[in-house]
Amino acid sequence: MEVTWLHLIPLLPLAGAAICGIAGKWLPKPWVYAVACVSVLLGFLIGLVAFVHLGEDVQQFHEIAWNWFAAGALHVDMAFLIDRLSGAMVLVITGVGFLIHVYSVGYMDEDPGYWRYFSYLNLFIAAMLTLVLGDNLVAMFVGWEGVGLCSYLLIGFWFTDEEKAYAGRKAFIVNRIGDFGFLIGIFVLYNQTGTVNFAQLNTVVLPLGVASVAALCLFVGATGKSAQLPLYVWLPDAMAGPTPVSALIHAATMVTAGVYMVARMSHLYVSAPGVMALVAVVGVLTALWSALIATSQNDIKKVLAYSTVSQLGFMFIGVGVGAFFAGTMHLITHAFFKACLFLGSGAVIHGLHGEQDMKRMGGLKHYMPSTRNTFLIATIAITGILPISGFFSKDEILGQALHTRAFSFLTLTPNGTSHLTWLGPLIYAVGSLAAFLTSFYMWRCYFLTFSGDYRGPEEVHPHESPAVMTLPLWILAALSVAGLVLGLPASWVHGTALEGWTWEHFTEAFFATPRGGRAEDFAPYLGYGIALIVGWAGWAVSYSLYHQRGIAGDEVLKGGWRRVLENKFYVDEFYGWLVVRPTWALARGLWRIVDATIIDGLFVNGVAAFIAWCGALARRFQNGNVQRYAAVTAVGVLALVYVFLVRGS
Amino acid sequence: MDFFHAHQAQHYLVLAALLFALGAAGVVLRRNAIIILMSIELMLNAVNLTFLAFARFPLVPNSPMGSFLHGHTAVFFVIATAAAEAAVGLAIIIAVFRSRTTVHVDEFDSLRF
Amino acid sequence: MEAILFYVFAAGVLGASAQVVLRRNPIYGAVSLVGAFFFLAGIYLLLSAPLIAILQVMIYAGAVMVLFVFVIMLLNLKEEELGEPKWTFWKGAGLVAVIAGTGILVWKALGPAYPGAPAIDNAVRMAGTGFGGVKAVGRTLYLASVLPFEVTSLLLLVAIVAAVVVAKGKI
Repeated sequence: MEVTWLHLIPLLPLAGAAICGIAGKWLPKPWVYAVACVSVLLGFLIGLVAFVHLGEDVQQFHEIAWNWFAAGALHVDMAFLIDRLSGAMVLVITGVGFLIHVYSVGYMDEDPGYWRYFSYLNLFIAAMLTLVLGDNLVAMFVGWEGVGLCSYLLIGFWFTDEEKAYAGRKAFIVNRIGDFGFLIGIFVLYNQTGTVNFAQLNTVVLPLGVASVAALCLFVGATGKSAQLPLYVWLPDAMAGPTPVSALIHAATMVTAGVYMVARMSHLYVSAPGVMALVAVVGVLTALWSALIATSQNDIKKVLAYSTVSQLGFMFIGVGVGAFFAGTMHLITHAFFKACLFLGSGAVIHGLHGEQDMKRMGGLKHYMPSTRNTFLIATIAITGILPISGFFSKDEILGQALHTRAFSFLTLTPNGTSHLTWLGPLIYAVGSLAAFLTSFYMWRCYFLTFSGDYRGPEEVHPHESPAVMTLPLWILAALSVAGLVLGLPASWVHGTALEGWTWEHFTEAFFATPRGGRAEDFAPYLGYGIALIVGWAGWAVSYSLYHQRGIAGDEVLKGGWRRVLENKFYVDEFYGWLVVRPTWALARGLWRIVDATIIDGLFVNGVAAFIAWCGALARRFQNGNVQRYAAVTAVGVLALVYVFLVRGS
Repeated sequence: MDFFHAHQAQHYLVLAALLFALGAAGVVLRRNAIIILMSIELMLNAVNLTFLAFARFPLVPNSPMGSFLHGHTAVFFVIATAAAEAAVGLAIIIAVFRSRTTVHVDEFDSLRF
Repeated sequence: MEAILFYVFAAGVLGASAQVVLRRNPIYGAVSLVGAFFFLAGIYLLLSAPLIAILQVMIYAGAVMVLFVFVIMLLNLKEEELGEPKWTFWKGAGLVAVIAGTGILVWKALGPAYPGAPAIDNAVRMAGTGFGGVKAVGRTLYLASVLPFEVTSLLLLVAIVAAVVVAKGKI
């Protein structure tokens, strides 16, 4: 259904960004807050109205805002599309975004750059909405780059700190690597299909090779934006930004763009089963890898950052095994509970006046009960020890992985034989291990922060945050619980009112079906039982180690292993050795040899020096003595006389 | 025919060359600006002598008759120009002497690098 | 007779000119230069150029040299202000160049400069036309060179103004 108001959704935050950015310095503080929050809230309301009107008769709302450019056969419209997937994404972005805006009012109140902060935040919302709402790859890429820019701006928000500015640059450059792949993917698709429009791309059947190349290139972009192996290294450093930014951009929304993109391009991915296997393997490896690192981080935000990387890995398992609905469902529930966790950690940091090291926390449940309770709910949600949102979405992913048929027909000549049947169960096993580690490190984080006795310095008095910060926490905690509705198994809700609300049913027939067909139904109770055992096992280990002893529980693992984990497997050092230092060396070489020596020395200064040398030579003749000139003239005349009269005749 | 009449033109030209050489030597050797100006007058007169010599003893025999007097008009112009040059040159010498109290050209070197 | 006059005049010209170049005090040079111009006027008469000879005496020996003598007197240079002659490498090189160049010129002039010796003598060929006289030169000047003549008058005007402006301290 064609409409004319969809562009308002990204336009309102964009206008808010312009107002805050241009006039924010002179406007009164409450005005800046009001503009920033209301513009997002209006976007949320428009999205909500659109979303509730989606139904069987109206599958989508579509608007061509303007014809962006046309070159030859290429027509690109700035067009927006809201369907069940992007509609849910819009609600998550604007809803969680609005809560984080409100939270930021309390968090950033004392920062002199608050107007700059809210301008960037609004700009981010606008870019993210463009990414989600765009009805073609190019419009999506605009948002894709826009969120990257805002991420850079907000990570380096306190840019006077060299380390934070460096983190911003690192995020930007690593993302550029992924964006490069994304662009090539767009080029490949346009070259082979002649269109960049999602609706048209979904109807095209591509040969396996082309589909694989395109899907692989797009997935490279996704690994950059969504922090998967091997490009995840920027996300932990991105915690240098303000904590609400970490919650909004680096947990709830931007980093899930890769998952959204893969889900949006599901028709492309199912025609490239090899790439899907790669996506799933990368996802499960990332989930395990960063969960391992998270177990030994002492910075509360670093733990949550690696947790985010790990959970993104779970989402990629979901979309990789063909269960697009499971991956996107985990995306939504993760947005709720991870935003809640990040904002909770922000409240802790705020209450401890900037302390981030869990070694100097502990016992905070006595000082900040609201923060503790919401953090506890969100931790339960992510670890899955009780069946609320995270439990269902994560278990759906693992269950789908166990029974997946997405990797069938993984030959160049599909003949019906099944391949890689062992891969799904393997992913399930490794994913369950990662789930166990998730439970372990999240409870470790909880115990170290809130249980036991306060270990911080005497002069810091922990205090609860103002209501403007705790209210969003409570709302997000409630959503973390209510999100379970999305993940209820079909057999439980069959025929009840809740059936229409489960994500699987809601997006039925929206995503493409893997070539091998859907995963067969499985007995949920066995899977749930295993998941509960895994979750509680993680809790039990963590409880026994950290509940009483606090940070001393880390001593159970000593020596080299701990050093390796604490140093994040030395990946940063490895990349530094592999990429950064050669690049620096090359740049220094270019600077010293090409720029300083050849261009500056030879071309710029060399020419000048040659002219100066000639001038120095010439000025020896210009000594101001007229008689010298006359004498030289006489010699010259002699030469002319000689040439014309003696040699010439 | 005696030697002078046999080589009449050459006599005048050699005289002009020697006169020019004396003038040029004066310009090159003497430091006094007034003497340099006078040496320039000598060189101009050597040129005048050459003009007149060629006007009387042309190299090209069949030129129109009137055109040979162009040598005389050229001398006329040279004399007029030399008068102007002497007036301006002497004025400059006076002006320089007033500021530098010297007439030696090797001391007029403010315009060097 | 003509040859004797030429040699006498030539010797006078060269001798007086040498005085100009060699004399240390410019007043002697100026007086010698007047003499040299008189001898040159004689040479011009030998070349059948009576008008130019008269102009030479009137303008050069009269007006221009009076200007020189006037300036010399005005400056009234002391003995120590006259300075000592200085020799430099370039002065020597210039002198050598002048002597060598003149030598080449003289050598070429004495050589085959004129294909047929004796040369054509216009004074003889055009004896009836008043060669070099006021009327003949005047006709050439005013018929063929009116514009340069007028421009010369302008040049003299400019020179007068310039001389006044340059030499006068304050106007």
